[in-house]
Amino acid sequence: MINTNTKKIFTSKVSKIEKIAESSYLIEIECNFPLSVIPGQFISVYCDGLTLRRPFSVFSTNENKIGILFKERGKGTRYIKSLKQGDFIDIAGPFGNGFNIKNQKSLLIGAGIGIAPVAFLKSRLEELKIPNLLISGFLNKFEVPKNIIIDKICTDDGSLGEKGSVLNYLGQTINEFKPEVIYACGPSVVLKTIAKTGKTFDIETQVAMEKVMACGIGVCRGCVIDIRKDGKVINAAVCKDGPVFKGDEVVWQ
Amino acid sequence: MAVTANILSTDLNGLILQNPIITASGTYGYNCEYDDFIDVSKLGAVVTKAISLRPRAGNKNIRIMETKAGIINSIGLENVGIEKFLTEKLPVLQSKHINFIVNIAGSTIDEYIELSKVCEANKIKTIELNVSCPNVKSGCLEFGTDESSLYELVNEVRKIYNGFLIIKLTPNVTSIEKIGLAAQKAGANAVSAINTLKGSSIKLNLIKGKFQKEIISGGYSGTGIKPVAINAVLRLSKVLNIPIIGIGGIENLDDVLEFFAAGAEAVQIGTANFTHPDIAEKLLFELSEYIKINGFKDLDDLKKELRA
Repeated sequence: MINTNTKKIFTSKVSKIEKIAESSYLIEIECNFPLSVIPGQFISVYCDGLTLRRPFSVFSTNENKIGILFKERGKGTRYIKSLKQGDFIDIAGPFGNGFNIKNQKSLLIGAGIGIAPVAFLKSRLEELKIPNLLISGFLNKFEVPKNIIIDKICTDDGSLGEKGSVLNYLGQTINEFKPEVIYACGPSVVLKTIAKTGKTFDIETQVAMEKVMACGIGVCRGCVIDIRKDGKVINAAVCKDGPVFKGDEVVWQ
Repeated sequence: MAVTANILSTDLNGLILQNPIITASGTYGYNCEYDDFIDVSKLGAVVTKAISLRPRAGNKNIRIMETKAGIINSIGLENVGIEKFLTEKLPVLQSKHINFIVNIAGSTIDEYIELSKVCEANKIKTIELNVSCPNVKSGCLEFGTDESSLYELVNEVRKIYNGFLIIKLTPNVTSIEKIGLAAQKAGANAVSAINTLKGSSIKLNLIKGKFQKEIISGGYSGTGIKPVAINAVLRLSKVLNIPIIGIGGIENLDDVLEFFAAGAEAVQIGTANFTHPDIAEKLLFELSEYIKINGFKDLDDLKKELRA
């Protein structure tokens, strides 16, 4: 009836679900067709009985498998956590605009579970042999996901890596590493500081934003944020125009 | 050459649709946004996002909140405005042969008249008047809740607009029959029922002894409103001669059949498009199979039995 190879919605099998940190999980889903995803793009998951699909940044694609990371937070993520290997899962995507990859020295910043798209980006940059550094912040050592290569770890309580927020080390890292572009994902307050810091150092920033979404494809206008384009403030849908925006375009709240 | 009869053909009192599955305003964009999931041209019709005379930026603050059985939205009619619709969105609808209904929203009678004139001049065959948006401060909902204001509005639009005219009714009234009758008397060709219910939700989060609150007031839609919608369609079907398009919480074929049983001639799928972006095409397929498997001649035959 529907050729799933060309449609952006499909039901597929869970090939792996694995705890990677305190209340954080990696789920890998089979897809029997090539799926081309740009780091920063997301997929949405139907969670049994819930009206809204839940969006997740893509963390990995390999051997026709797609992986996402999630932190157990509410009904949606509780449902996904309940899935077992071999269970079916209803996926749509990939959606949105990913990072605009530059052939430039790249600083990657992930805060908490926001590490997913930047870790994916790092693997892409490695393939492209683009010099990069991934710095990532977590609450404590239990929140640090295993099996992800992170160049510099910060924890709020100092239980692993540097003590304090990733933002405390931003200026120092920029001065030492001298990036030409910064890619980031995490809570809005963190992204705001990164965007401002980028501006101070005159370095381009690209930030992956998050917002409650209904449609995921730009039609409902439920997830709009203010951005500045050609001197005017306009609405941009995080799902369709983002989730990656240039840091200096976002009108920060 | 043999012509296969279309068993889903739907006659809305002069407006012939290839099937009764329509996608509701505000959930389907302006034209082919769902092409990534289904073949949109197969649908009975797509109702465009509500279009106003001038572009609208919509509301600030929280626009969407999920509830136990649906969502509350407070989008505030963000849309590109009629001019951009005509130049950018309409040509796509036409070139892709998508059956469409243009939903228009004004805040004064003059705005509705102006919009209707533009639709008439551009040969738009079907419009749906949004007289029931709960998210804009002036106009709109006022027309939908007062029978004499609605009569006046529809009457004025009818003078200018010769195409098929649908009035989308709000459930936020005491007697939906009176409102429906006013629309019919003023010359509407059909009504669609229902628009969203007024709803609010407060999300509480206790942080260090203080409550952080997220509050939304807007239109409640989704599976939770279906009983209200069925009630409206049942009541309207007792008093109206014009066709009723049923809307409200449709998620599966059983829901579609329930609306037909209540007296709806066609249905609109709204919030469920967000949950399952391919649902409209699925329902189309399932409805057609249901008719064949159960030995009904066609959709009209099925409706007759559902109402017997």
